[in-house]
Amino acid sequence: MSAAIGMEVLKTKGRKIWLVVAVMMAVQLLWAGWAISNKDANELAQGWLFFLYQFPMLNCIIMPVIAAVVASRLSDVEHQGQTFKLLETIIPAQRIFAAKFIWGSIYMLGAALGQLAIMIGMGFVLHFGGPVPWGALAGYLFFTLVVSLTIYIFQQGVSMLVANQMVPMTLGLVGGFIGLFSMFFPQGFQKLILWSYYGVLMQVGMNWDETTRAVDFYWTATDWSGLGLILVFFVLIYGIGRILFVRKEV
Amino acid sequence: MSNIIETEGLSKQYGNVYRVKDVDLSVPEGAIYGFLGPNGAGKSTTLKMILGLAKPTEGEIAVFGKRVNSKNRLENLKNVGSLIESPSYYGHLTGEENLRIFQTLRGVPKQNITEVLKIVRLENQQNKKVSQYSLGMKQRLGLASALLGYPRLLILDEPTNGLDPAGIQEMRELIQSLPQKFGMTVVVSSHLLSEIDQLATRVGIIREGELVYQDSLTKLHQYSKQHLAVRTMNNEVTKSFLSQKGVAWEAEDDYLIIPQMKDTMMAEISKALGQNNIGLVRIEERKKSLEDIFLELTGTAVSL
Repeated sequence: MSAAIGMEVLKTKGRKIWLVVAVMMAVQLLWAGWAISNKDANELAQGWLFFLYQFPMLNCIIMPVIAAVVASRLSDVEHQGQTFKLLETIIPAQRIFAAKFIWGSIYMLGAALGQLAIMIGMGFVLHFGGPVPWGALAGYLFFTLVVSLTIYIFQQGVSMLVANQMVPMTLGLVGGFIGLFSMFFPQGFQKLILWSYYGVLMQVGMNWDETTRAVDFYWTATDWSGLGLILVFFVLIYGIGRILFVRKEV
Repeated sequence: MSNIIETEGLSKQYGNVYRVKDVDLSVPEGAIYGFLGPNGAGKSTTLKMILGLAKPTEGEIAVFGKRVNSKNRLENLKNVGSLIESPSYYGHLTGEENLRIFQTLRGVPKQNITEVLKIVRLENQQNKKVSQYSLGMKQRLGLASALLGYPRLLILDEPTNGLDPAGIQEMRELIQSLPQKFGMTVVVSSHLLSEIDQLATRVGIIREGELVYQDSLTKLHQYSKQHLAVRTMNNEVTKSFLSQKGVAWEAEDDYLIIPQMKDTMMAEISKALGQNNIGLVRIEERKKSLEDIFLELTGTAVSL
């Protein structure tokens, strides 16, 4: 397996995939800077909560785009060069699938860590109030990764099965927008959509007072059933994607 | 001589159509087996089934004497190199990097890369990106990938497709040298009769998914031996006359086709026909070309 992963690394040489992740992180950094720039000292006291509420919302769009691009970039080299028919005479198809997933996950991990770095960095620079909520930040990293890897494996499955990469890219973008707008719908509906889980697993809630127009953030309990469901989705999508790829004749 | 590939009743059905039907292939060890057939006859599908890239609907495949199944497929393929339809490559990487990927995955020594690059004469282009290679160079890189593990069996599907005459000649020489140099058995498919004629020692001809001929190339050439075409004023009476004399005949248009024979025998027949008042109006020497035989077997015009 290590050889297969190593070769995935070599295949991405010159593909500038990290650049895509970096650009998306820069967008997130700019957005975070803009969003926090008009906050006064009182509001900055809730800075950690503000970020832990806003970042998952933004992730509905940012992470699906990263997942779609990474999965597509890792798969289209195989489609373009018609290499699956050679690779599958050397190593098992399931190993190709697993190696791609593991290497793609590194990009998703990089993006999630990048977001964490942005939050922590801005928190320290702008002196957010109270102690650093390390537990909640770790939770954020974990939940972001679980949801992102589930979306990534969906994207990888489609990218590996369909040669035309416009299909998975479109699915990724549409999914992201549905995920974002599903936050206006009941939780039962949200839980049916992969891209909504950034919101489902949010650790912070928001009260908005209509008369004072004041915003107040508060900690919420983890939605364990949501976490359980997304893990089930991950296992199912990985399994189905792998079976379809292994059975696919090249 | 043992067979390195043997298939029995190999079939592949897509929807209601059989792309390959009851193919019994036998490839002897050390041979260059020419798998010939028009485009769409089922050559690639058959080869893909042997490599496990397509699942047979029916039938058995044995490679190196072992029945191939999903469990032992990759173990068996360790001794098989392949180039199917078009070369597989990563265009954004160099030739050497491409080979390094397949060498690492195959688990064969790194020095094999240098060796196969020399065999296919790509050592001077190894650091160039493959996207900048010509089609001929890409085909040679594909062959190099197939040779990396010095396999006992090499399966090449239309390796000269798209190459110019010089490229075809070069590829042909390369393929021809492999059995002698490395003791490999080579299966090479093509829709070009002339190519297989110059390369193969044994040939299998496939038509609409069915194997219509399989034997040595020498035997195929025997079909093209000369025969005589005679026309008389009364072919019907001549037919029974020839049968009485024990001469095999076959009617073709206004002619009777009979085997090549000694002049004395032909003189005797013509004299006897004259004595029976049957006028002999034509005696022609004819030879079936290999193309005619191919046409008869496949029902399609041959590509030259």
